[in-house]
Amino acid sequence: MLDLNEVFETNKMIASENLDVRTVTMGISLLDCCDPNLDRLCQKIYDKIVSSAGALVATADEIALEYGIPIINKRVSVTPIALVGAAACHTPADFVRIACTLEKAAQKIGVNFIGGYSALVQKGMTAADRLLIDSIPQALAQTEHICSSVSLASTKTGIDMDAVRLMGDIVKQTAAATRKQDSLGCAKLVVFCNPTDDNPFMAGAFHGVTEADRVINVGVSGPGVVRTALSKVRGANFEVLCETIKKTAFKVTRVGQLVAKEASRRLNVPFGIVDLSLAPTPAVGDSIADIIHEMGMEYCGAPGTTAALAILNDQVKKGGIMASSYVGGLSGAFIPVSEDSSMAEAARIGALTLEKLEAMTCVCSVGLDMIAIPGDTSSETIAGIMADEMAIGMVNQKTTAVRLIPVIGKKAGETCSFGGLLGDATIMPVNRYSCADFVNRGGRIPAPIHSFKN
Amino acid sequence: MTNRTVITLVGKDHTGIIAAVCNYFAQNNINILDISQTTVEEYINMMMIVDLDGYRKSFPELVADLEKVGKQVGCIIKAQHEDIFNMMHRI
Repeated sequence: MLDLNEVFETNKMIASENLDVRTVTMGISLLDCCDPNLDRLCQKIYDKIVSSAGALVATADEIALEYGIPIINKRVSVTPIALVGAAACHTPADFVRIACTLEKAAQKIGVNFIGGYSALVQKGMTAADRLLIDSIPQALAQTEHICSSVSLASTKTGIDMDAVRLMGDIVKQTAAATRKQDSLGCAKLVVFCNPTDDNPFMAGAFHGVTEADRVINVGVSGPGVVRTALSKVRGANFEVLCETIKKTAFKVTRVGQLVAKEASRRLNVPFGIVDLSLAPTPAVGDSIADIIHEMGMEYCGAPGTTAALAILNDQVKKGGIMASSYVGGLSGAFIPVSEDSSMAEAARIGALTLEKLEAMTCVCSVGLDMIAIPGDTSSETIAGIMADEMAIGMVNQKTTAVRLIPVIGKKAGETCSFGGLLGDATIMPVNRYSCADFVNRGGRIPAPIHSFKN
Repeated sequence: MTNRTVITLVGKDHTGIIAAVCNYFAQNNINILDISQTTVEEYINMMMIVDLDGYRKSFPELVADLEKVGKQVGCIIKAQHEDIFNMMHRI
């Protein structure tokens, strides 16, 4: 029989420590929509999304009410659109029409994002991949609920530096196309090394071609719960620290597993994975930087931060893995600067720098995420930052990503606001020395050797 | 999935709180399986496990009705399916 303390522990996590299920994401394959006629293709895409995910939002809300656990986001991920539109699209404008179709579908079913306006070009670009990438600035400027991602590298294929260089330009163009909203379009655009096919989190979610026709993936959260648990073991040794994180991650993940299984049953869509992620929000207390602080750093970014983040990331996985029957996605701690109010504060006062963030991405689940940089940063420099991050992912056989926002018209130290869960940020300075001659070489960086590991 | 639901109540203690909740259950054919409570200083924490098999209204109506009862007695009353607690605290 349930114990009173256990029941109140759970409800305290929900009421005052921001425990929630961050997202229920339905992955939908659009491969069966492929058609050489663009009108027919758009109609099929719209029909498939609306018929597959029409009940997603209502079902998630129903589950949230019955279990008393908030489900913050309801989302859809689709097959990378560069594949779906390859036969029908002959100009970037043709791809933008698909983006507008996805937007219409997103509004109809009430989800807050559709991800998968994507191209996978880690070894090379097809003509369709190139058209989709060229269309990204307009696609993101003309839509509100569409997220775009481009895979530029993998451990097995190396880094497509032509695509990296191109994405430097595309990020700048996207920033310019959405300059009136502090270059918000770039918050919905991410580049990857080793992306996962089942990631439920935006902006990088897409439904991989190895996936089933439809699938339910769930992303959990709960930085506030971990921080509260750690506040009770201040000064204890690392064994106690690790055990505390592990036990808390187990509890948080169990809630995600329950919601995933229930959503899968009610929607009659197979359960895919639970993504064991600690995802912050701008809400006070819902912060990864606060956990780092609780572990003993004066501010996130101080020496020791990378070690602390490595512990956190590993223990979250160790605790979460037994709590769910299938684990996948990105699984680990996210460090999106503008979405984490304490991390944004650490960046504002100079405790957290771009270089330290790069080091932190070596040991956590994603990469340089939601970082506002000066609007006059050159596209070569942006490509150089991407190349660095792709190299970290490639060599360390992990997912890494870059989501930078060059805020047009603003300089380092100024503030910008993206609204809602995307938060506010102080613009971080970028190393001012050039890498143009390096990124302009063209071609590919070969895949790394998989032995002689040092 | 069973129909067992956990009712939790938090608020400042005074007479008649549990009576008000139990009255609602009696009127709506909800069977109480277990009750436990603690009072710390002047605050009451109560948990009930109830069976909704005989309940004729929907779950959202139960949540809304308990919120009304809660307002009348100055407490916060929540209804949640039992599985969320079992999942979190039992392997």
